[in-house]
Amino acid sequence: MTAPSAHDVVVIGGGVTGAGIARDLSLRGLSVLLLEKGDWGAGTSGSSSWMIHGGPRYLEFDWDTTRLSCVDAGHIVTIARNLVYRVVFLIPVMPHDRNNIERMETAMEVYDRFQPLKHAHPHRRLTGKEALQAEPGLSPDVIAAVTMEEWGVDPHRLVYANVQDAVAHGARALNHTRVTELVKDGGKVLGVRYRTADGATSEARARAVVNATGPWSPELGAMAGVDIRLRPAKGIHIIYPHRISNFSISAESVDGRDLLMVAHAGFTLLGTTDDDFYGDLDSVDVLEDEVDYLLQGFERVFPRIRDYRPVRTTTGVRPTLFKWRKYEDELSRRYEVIDHASQDADGFITIAGGKLSMYRLMAEETSDAVCRKLGHQVASTTASRPLPGNESDPEPPAELAARCSISALAAMKLQSRHGTNAEKVLDEGGTSRILCRCEPVTEAELVYAARREQVRTLADAFRRVGVAAGPCAGAACILRTAEVIGRELGWSASQRFDAAREFVRGAWLGRAPVLNQAGWAQEELAQGAMRGLMGFDGSR
Amino acid sequence: MARADALARLAWAYGIHQARRRLTRRRSQLADLVETYAADGIRAVEPQMRERHPHLVSCINCGLCALAAGRLGKTRLPDLASSYMRLYARLSEASSDLAGDGGAAPDLAAAASVCPVGLPLDEVAAVVRRMTTR
Repeated sequence: MTAPSAHDVVVIGGGVTGAGIARDLSLRGLSVLLLEKGDWGAGTSGSSSWMIHGGPRYLEFDWDTTRLSCVDAGHIVTIARNLVYRVVFLIPVMPHDRNNIERMETAMEVYDRFQPLKHAHPHRRLTGKEALQAEPGLSPDVIAAVTMEEWGVDPHRLVYANVQDAVAHGARALNHTRVTELVKDGGKVLGVRYRTADGATSEARARAVVNATGPWSPELGAMAGVDIRLRPAKGIHIIYPHRISNFSISAESVDGRDLLMVAHAGFTLLGTTDDDFYGDLDSVDVLEDEVDYLLQGFERVFPRIRDYRPVRTTTGVRPTLFKWRKYEDELSRRYEVIDHASQDADGFITIAGGKLSMYRLMAEETSDAVCRKLGHQVASTTASRPLPGNESDPEPPAELAARCSISALAAMKLQSRHGTNAEKVLDEGGTSRILCRCEPVTEAELVYAARREQVRTLADAFRRVGVAAGPCAGAACILRTAEVIGRELGWSASQRFDAAREFVRGAWLGRAPVLNQAGWAQEELAQGAMRGLMGFDGSR
Repeated sequence: MARADALARLAWAYGIHQARRRLTRRRSQLADLVETYAADGIRAVEPQMRERHPHLVSCINCGLCALAAGRLGKTRLPDLASSYMRLYARLSEASSDLAGDGGAAPDLAAAASVCPVGLPLDEVAAVVRRMTTR
């Protein structure tokens, strides 16, 4: 083991909250070590609904959560302009729905009061006929509809932008690095021991250790000898590799829950379930029953949903605060900053609960608690300080495209991930060749991701640049991706094949629950070449 | 407590809403909706396109069509279906990609005939062209 490094703060957990805390504390001038056992945003953050939303459903339970959420959404939208886009919901009212149109519009009228906080427009009310004009795919049974605006976001890029900015301000950030032990002396937590991706073990000493591990918080808490109670809730999404509708659509499930079909930039996300989860957090499977539950709910408002081919599913576990008895949906998404000093673990702070839309505020409040503990009196600047690539307005994509010899579509997508740093990314790789044609992703961007963005596996590349996220699900590009990443990271030929095989196997696990009859045939076609090339047997 | 407070406030808002509905004249808000989000590329889907839509977005990017017809303007096949057709909100910003390069028009019908999922490439091309010019 190498000699211990010394930091002001060690932050454990590289989801959006942990990354946000690392950024906040670094900007306040503290030295920070951020550790993530997998990849940045690979857990709960990455399996979210990809939305910065105000939470209108919390109006039934707690208006304060809606207000806080909208205020922070407004900040996030301002500091991460390249990562966000408007998502407009049509909320159809169907026969036998829980709420009639008047109740729905009342809720939207109330929500309109909060919408300006996040730079969103007020709702509109449509008759059934007008709703069908706006979206002809709706069921002809629709009685009326209201609209509601939210923001879409790429959570993987949002997490990484926070990591990137933290590092730019002096933080050290290690992904694929697992904390194996907390260093304690009597009633004080003094640091952590961790194992990096290459198997090396190290120790880091810190004046404060922050537990930002989301649903894994109780596990880490146990290392410090403290009890952290959550009520983890599993949620799944079905991903379609295209827009199904320009307007996002909400529906009611068979048991009266709100479901969403969200029209993101180039794909559609349908979700979500919300069930108490007691299993292994590192192995959460999607069940075909859950897929059917979602499709059944949507079929009633969007009858042709089963005609579309999903490409994969995602699943994650929400770190909901513990509360007895309430149904899962009604549990507040409020959060809590817990200082464990009174539990014989001084120097150990946990941030529990919350949601993506409030990550910045959660990070700020956690950082405030850390600063109070360390006697460091510097205020947070993350509400107004732009994330990397957002310091100025990006140029029109066609101009970047013409100058760098790429398609305007590729330029647009590149800007959506890197903002004004897009050209720098292309310069790094020195080639404008398109590698993933579905997205599209340039080879240069992959080179940049391997050299500058801590991509260590092909799944990391998927998260960082969206490679293999399109309709082919990697069938057309994953081997080439393995070549490029392997070249940058010094992989041998067999390591490149192994990496591609591992990616395909992982992708398969997420795809199997949504393959219908045609999907199986297409899967056979897409994987035929891979079987020959890679000896992939397709078994689970 | 927060729950009771939230419900009471909603009940009050409901009363206000009902009174307002009785006192104000109703007018269509569809045009407002479309105009508000035109700049974001969020617009109504035409009924004809909706009918054909599941077929139009079924590309699996196997690349067979590229063997039959290389490109449309500067855009390669199957990118037309696998990437452009997917991103129709901001497609007008990519209109330059579909500008002709002086070559002969590709035989999209021939390309479609080799497609294993039966994608109507000529229809896709027409839709994408229409969206890029908006």
